Amino acid sequence: MSNNSSPLIQVSQLSKSFGSKQALNKVNFDINKGQPVALVGPNGAGKTTLFSLLCGYIQPSSGRISILGHHAGSAATFGKLAALPQDAQLDPRFSIAHQLKFYGKLQGFNNKKSQFEAERTLDLVGLKEVLNEKPNALSHGMRKRVTIAQALIGNPEIIMLDEATAGLDPLHAREIRQLVANLSNETTFILSSHDLSELERLCHQVLFLENGVLREHQNVSNESLANNQQTYLTIRMANDEIEFEQSLLAIEQISSVVKTQDREYLITINAPTNAMTNSSTSALPLDIQILQLCHDKKWIYRQIVNGKTLENQLFS
Amino acid sequence: MNNPSQIQQSLFRMWALAKFELIRLFFTKRGSLALLAFVTAWFLILYYPVNSAVSIVASDGFKEMAKDTFGMLGLSALLNWQVSEFTLYWLIALYSFPVFALGASSDQTCADRTRGTLRFISLRATRNEILFGRFLGQVLIIALLILITLIATAGMAWWRDSNLLSPALLKVGQLFIELNIVVLPFIALTSFFNSFLRSAKLTSVITLLFFGLGTIIISLLSDKIPNAQYLYYIFPGVQLSDIVGQNLFSITHYIIPIVQTFCYLILASIFMKRSAL
Repeated sequence: MSNNSSPLIQVSQLSKSFGSKQALNKVNFDINKGQPVALVGPNGAGKTTLFSLLCGYIQPSSGRISILGHHAGSAATFGKLAALPQDAQLDPRFSIAHQLKFYGKLQGFNNKKSQFEAERTLDLVGLKEVLNEKPNALSHGMRKRVTIAQALIGNPEIIMLDEATAGLDPLHAREIRQLVANLSNETTFILSSHDLSELERLCHQVLFLENGVLREHQNVSNESLANNQQTYLTIRMANDEIEFEQSLLAIEQISSVVKTQDREYLITINAPTNAMTNSSTSALPLDIQILQLCHDKKWIYRQIVNGKTLENQLFS
Repeated sequence: MNNPSQIQQSLFRMWALAKFELIRLFFTKRGSLALLAFVTAWFLILYYPVNSAVSIVASDGFKEMAKDTFGMLGLSALLNWQVSEFTLYWLIALYSFPVFALGASSDQTCADRTRGTLRFISLRATRNEILFGRFLGQVLIIALLILITLIATAGMAWWRDSNLLSPALLKVGQLFIELNIVVLPFIALTSFFNSFLRSAKLTSVITLLFFGLGTIIISLLSDKIPNAQYLYYIFPGVQLSDIVGQNLFSITHYIIPIVQTFCYLILASIFMKRSAL
């Protein structure tokens, strides 16, 4: 995807206060068309406030928001920006088909196209069979998926999903992640979630909010660290191995091994340009050397991650 | 032009929102029950008070007494109406439809705002479109209900005397316009309260306080400041006592509710734009 065009979303010096509480403090960022963007942060960090500002649900105290060149909430963004706001529900008195068709008509579709969009989007979230049901007849997870379907009507350019997979069973959460991945070539998703592994899988750009301040604005990969002196590997082991850290430190390019949590280690590697490919002292690339070590020692590893995990990037 | 203009798109969205309100009344269980209750109440009103009053007014023995009573109340012009059924209908409808309109339109955006549904809609329609679309929907609902009761009353008159059909239909047209103008500011008032309140019950309570406490406060103020009596013009229905007798035609009787409607909708628009969804 091209990043050369003007950003889809531009936020500058954005602040929002609720009485004496400052929910957002001079936040700046751009979001370009492309891969999904993660919005993370602890409870009360300002994620939902930022979502609400971007959708035009609330007005900023100061600062500027530009969505596709228009201000947030502008009629020019209708049909181009969609959202799943946290805890928003459909009207329980009307069938799902009726409501999705109504949203389609508000987006300017005729009756036939609205019906098609209602069926298509429900099919995308695996719920075509509930077309004529009322929301109250569905489980919490199904209702959530229906509200995701409403965000997909008309293939908008930007979709913001606030805690989209919260409350979904693992199978359907996976289906939603797959859906986001499949659609991310044509739509730019902005995802808020507490599930960092989920965001790590889907997103290349991370907005990390803490106490209303944007602390990080980075890409989640070793690529962004390519010009630095160090790169990282993260390895998760099946068991605690007493000699694990010492054995790794015996490898020449490894400068440190830190146990980040139970059976998870962050390995710091010097000389990033060639460490992952080959070594001056060994014919094998470094990650293969580590796997060989595990094999020789009969240590079972669960996962090896190229770089820091998102969790470690944000919290370690 | 292949693409509709922004104004056309805006009108289309408002109409879609208004139609949704009509569907809410006629095609949902709660709406159908409310409609059934309305029809039952008006059946009782038409069958007993209106029907009975017509036979009383028509009898020679009671005619003079009715004239005296209506004359004392400034309503004698109503007795000259050719279709007697509309005399009592007018007296009941003039005061009951505004109250009914307040109740029926008390939830224009409250429940949707609390549930979060308004967040889905506001990504597809502007806040003004939502406000005016919902207002239009409520106006259409009340207008339809007024029309149903008017047609039923005309039908009763026609049933009594087939020669009354033509004057009855003329009266239907006149009263339809008058009653609709009367209810407009009441619906606009609830639109205004809905622009910042989050429940229909709270809207009803605030409406009650607005009329109750508002009247008391203005009454007390009027004792101290003579010009304070003009504050009564903030109340929808302030002109009702002047039009109930249908004695004199005055354009102000129509201008007052229309100006009130306009003002409350402007206020609602300002509040709606500032409110959090």
